[in-house]
Formats: sequence, structure tokens, C-alpha cells
Amino acid sequence: MLQQEETEERLRPLMMRSLEGDSAAHRQLLGTLGRYLRGYFARRIGSASAEVEDLVQETLLAVHLKRDSYDRSLPFTPWAYALARYKLIDHLRRRHRSIQVPLEDAGALFAAEDAEEVAVRNDLERLLQRLPDRQRTLIEDVKLRGLSVEEAARKRGVSAVSARVMLHRSLKWLNQALRDENG
Amino acid sequence: MRTADLIELLAGDARAIRRGVVTRKLLTALIAGGLVTFAIVALWLRCQPLLAAAQQPWFWMKAGYTGLLTLAGAISVRRLSIPGARLRAAPLAAALIILAMLALGAGQILATAPQARLALWLGQTWKICSPLILLLALPIYACLIAALRALAPTRLTLTGAAAGFAAGALAATLYGLHCPEQAAAFAATWYTLGIAAATALGAVTGRRLLRW
Repeated sequence: MLQQEETEERLRPLMMRSLEGDSAAHRQLLGTLGRYLRGYFARRIGSASAEVEDLVQETLLAVHLKRDSYDRSLPFTPWAYALARYKLIDHLRRRHRSIQVPLEDAGALFAAEDAEEVAVRNDLERLLQRLPDRQRTLIEDVKLRGLSVEEAARKRGVSAVSARVMLHRSLKWLNQALRDENG
Repeated sequence: MRTADLIELLAGDARAIRRGVVTRKLLTALIAGGLVTFAIVALWLRCQPLLAAAQQPWFWMKAGYTGLLTLAGAISVRRLSIPGARLRAAPLAAALIILAMLALGAGQILATAPQARLALWLGQTWKICSPLILLLALPIYACLIAALRALAPTRLTLTGAAAGFAAGALAATLYGLHCPEQAAAFAATWYTLGIAAATALGAVTGRRLLRW
């Protein structure tokens, strides 16, 4: 319990800054959350499963896109846990496995960090190839070449604003495509 | 794609998030759906003479009943739209309001002469009341579902049921603009049944419709 309070105190301020548009805080929050998610999913579906990392990525994307469902007057860890548990149940249901995901305290998600990225089956990478060229190259510039969105925009001769819009739309599309193809 | 790369992408898409998005989206959906249902009531069913009706206690008894249920339903839907939030007292409040209304209706039946009870209970329109409320709930339910899909409900059956309940209660409130029935026993039965049907519809369809 004490440990969870400590986690809450560490992550909630990051979430607050992330909600104000602070991208460094956002990066740090998602990084930390990713390590916890990896541990949680591995404990639930087996650490050898190639699906763990896909599930981590899918959940991080959901956390990112569903941030507006977070109520700033409430604690952060139960919110993150509810999203993670939803993604896990959704994942198991799709694969027609018997669904037994106990409803636990949010501490279940934040029990242990796991920094070791495991092999990914790569749902996202495959879907990325179906994006229109302009959007895909923008994503690859940011992802592979480590450019900022502004730099990538300049390189492709589009405005920073429209590059941001393009990136956001692509992420939303990826999130929906994940849902639909798994339907 | 490595997870670290994905996080870079997401950090590149960081931007300020407005406060109160959940409440605003749900309220917009209730208003939009409510306007459609109101138009159906006003143009198709026709309102009863409202100036005269508004002088009568029974008009406000019905409006108060379904209005309070709408409020309890809307609060429940909002709580269910926030992952990890507790549902708290709203469903309990709705149950208590319904029980109070059933008690009021039962009391009215008991206070009526036995040979007049059936007429009081069934009124003139008992056959169409519940089905019309279910029908009128559909536009509101559709708007709520559209709003909820953009949010992040994690308990889909329950959220669908709450959305159906809120839609049914608001539809019943608007139906009260048309419906000239005056008995508490009537509203306690046929209004409540219409709202229950909308709730059941939400519970059955929500699971499928609300996935994100």
C-alpha cells in the first residue's frame, strides 16, 4: 500500500505536466508506465509471449490518446490500471481464451518494473505500412531518424502545425486499426 | 517498432489537454439527442396544452420522477467514462427514487375504490407508453454511444446499461410533454418499464458498440 502511494506521488505530477503539453514529462511518464505494463502483462500472459510487447505498445498508445478521460481531481494509478486491465481483457477475449483477470488494487500494475524490451510481434509496424506515404515518412523520420516533429516537418517541406496534425491523425488511425483488425 | 520509438512518437504528439472533456462530451450528446427526441415529440406526437398542464401537480410529479432519474443516470455514465473511477452513489439514488415512485403508485392504488383501480393503473395509453419511451430513447442513446466511443469506458456492459438508462429517463421526461396521463401508479409502472427496456437494450448492445 505504501509502495503504491509512493508510485502515485511519483507519477501523478508527471501526468499533470503531460496534460499541460510538457513533452519531456510525457516521455518520462510513458517510459515508466511501459516498464510497469511489461511486468504486469508478462505476469498475466507469460513472459515468453511475443504478445507482451505488442500489448505494452497498444496500451501506451491508448494511454496517450485517451488522456482526456483522466479526471485531474482523481488519483492517477487507478486510471492507468483500469486502462491496462481493459486492454488485457480485450486481448484475451480476442484470442478466445478464458477470461479470468481478477479485479485487483491498482498496485497489481505497479508491482514491478521490467525494463527489458522483449521481441515484438509487431502489429504496429505492419499497420504503419498501410498509412499513406506522407504520413508514413513523417512517422519514420521521427521514429527512426530521431528528428523532432519540427525538424521532420522542415525536411518534408510542410508546416510544423500540419505535421503535428498529421502525426496525431496517424496515431488515432493506428489505434483504430488495431481495434478493428482484432475485432 | 521498438517501444522506445513509439514513446518518441507519442512524445512528439504531446499537447495540452483541456479540462472537463468527459463532462462536455457527454452533456453535448445528451443535449443533441434530447433535441432530436424533443422534435419527434413536438412534431409527431404533439405536446399537450402545456400552460394548463404546468398548473397541475401530476405534471411535475412525472417530470420530477424522470428528471431525477435522468440526473442519476447521467452521473453514472460520467463516472463509468473515467477509467478507475468508483461508481459511488448515483445508481443507489436511482434505485431509491424508483422505489419511492413505486410506493407512491401502490399507495394511490390502495386509496382507490377497488372497481376503479384497473382504469387508474392502465389509463388510456398503457399499451403505447413503454414502447414509445423506448423508441424516443434511441436518438439519445445513439448520441451517448458516439460520445462514449471517443472516451474510455472499461466496463462495457455496465456503461451501456447506464447510457440506456439515462437515455430512457430523458426520453420519458420529454414524452411527459405529450402524455396526458395523470396517475402516479401509471407513471410508476409504464414509464419505469420504458426506461427499463432502454436500460436492457443498452446492456445488451453496449458490450459490442463501446469497444475502443
